[in-house]
Amino acid sequence: MPVQTAPDLEAPPQVERLSPSGRRARLAAAAVVLALLLTGTVWGDDSEFPFGPFRMYSTRADPDAPVVSTRVVGVTADEEEVRLSGGEVGLRRAEFEGQLPRLVADPSLLGLVAESYEAAHPGGPELVRVEVVQRRFELAGGERTGAYTDDVLVGYDLAAGS
Amino acid sequence: MSTAAPAGPGTAPAVPLTPRWWFRPVPLARVAVFRVIAYLFIPVDVFLTTAWVRAHADVPTEFYQPLVVGRLLHLPTPTHTVVLVVQWALVVAAVLAATGRAPRVLGWAVFLLYAEWMVIAMSYGKVDHDRIAYLVALAVLPTIGRAPWRDRRSSEAAGFGMAAVLVTVMLTYFLAAWAKMRFGGWDWATGATLTRAVVRRGTDLSLWTLDVAWLLPAAQWAMLVFEFAAPLMLLVRSDRARVGLVVFLLGFHVMVYAGVGIIFLPHCIAILSILPWERLRRSSPPTGAVGAVGAVGAVGAVAVPGRDGDPPG
Repeated sequence: MPVQTAPDLEAPPQVERLSPSGRRARLAAAAVVLALLLTGTVWGDDSEFPFGPFRMYSTRADPDAPVVSTRVVGVTADEEEVRLSGGEVGLRRAEFEGQLPRLVADPSLLGLVAESYEAAHPGGPELVRVEVVQRRFELAGGERTGAYTDDVLVGYDLAAGS
Repeated sequence: MSTAAPAGPGTAPAVPLTPRWWFRPVPLARVAVFRVIAYLFIPVDVFLTTAWVRAHADVPTEFYQPLVVGRLLHLPTPTHTVVLVVQWALVVAAVLAATGRAPRVLGWAVFLLYAEWMVIAMSYGKVDHDRIAYLVALAVLPTIGRAPWRDRRSSEAAGFGMAAVLVTVMLTYFLAAWAKMRFGGWDWATGATLTRAVVRRGTDLSLWTLDVAWLLPAAQWAMLVFEFAAPLMLLVRSDRARVGLVVFLLGFHVMVYAGVGIIFLPHCIAILSILPWERLRRSSPPTGAVGAVGAVGAVGAVAVPGRDGDPPG
């Protein structure tokens, strides 16, 4: 390393070197992380986080199949809908969508959702039922036709007085 | 690139992913700035931009769906107490780490706590893909050790750290293209993936794109081409190219945010590690730095701008 002359601060600065073992350890760590990431990309899935595939928007949507948008709602005695999948009970819409198979298999989980909502909103409306509703927007050739349908995928009646 | 170029560290030519490339020295001052940004992002992330993670404190544990890493390491079920303890430990450790003190101990603490925070985040049926480069950044910062802003040296450890973040940023795009081929198929770009995204999450700035039939498929082709070309970003060397690359990448993410309200914020923080932050010092030294340099007896030299930092054009 050249010695730095007093007035010349633009001279090449000193370099802190790594020991050979420090280099080896770093390269080995990089190789392991890269191997895990590549393995996850090729064979893994989201549950292998943080080494799963980067699958954001990776599935191909059929230009002629409807776009499905799921919501979880509480229903009052007056058939009013109260949105529950917008963070009201601590779960995001995408998280509900990720757990749909479980909700279908065990609708009583929706009862827990209602309990969470009532705990977080003590003065909120009285719910009699929780529903998972899927809205299907029709597409034709990749463009919206404007038509949509709402279907209740699964519902759960809340026991009266609970 | 002659050896006389003052911006030499990190700009020497090297074939990407060779040992010489991994260990090109990077100024410690660059790490000093990036470290503050990376650690101070954590309170922002926890309380503002990803506040839905905290919300998991109030979710019944029946909805906890442990990831592989959670099962392998027997991580605790995120009860209300677990979430609150991790949250506050993480925020306090991050703020302390941002001061630059005890960079290794505090750095590793922040990395481990943030990793656990991510397990709490991703174990409820939805995994986000914007965190890997930021996690790598948190993992490499403690390996660099002390990096004072006034330190004029470069370091190979810093070079490795910044290279690791750059590689992960690149892979976030490149492997996303790969995933599109794997899950979407070779005809992914001819599908209606973006249309679906805009229908579901469109904003006032993007809903009009649904009425321009060719636009979103063309955007899908462009995305695919850019993502497959991402490895080219490993060739970035000059300061100017670094700034250009960062502006391009951040521009993409801002556009996505405008269109569907999704921003890869932690990933964007990792992107900021590409910038030549040490140049802030060269062009306009903060008053504190002047005092420090004065102690070395070279006040006059600080005022000389680094004209030759980058070849013009």
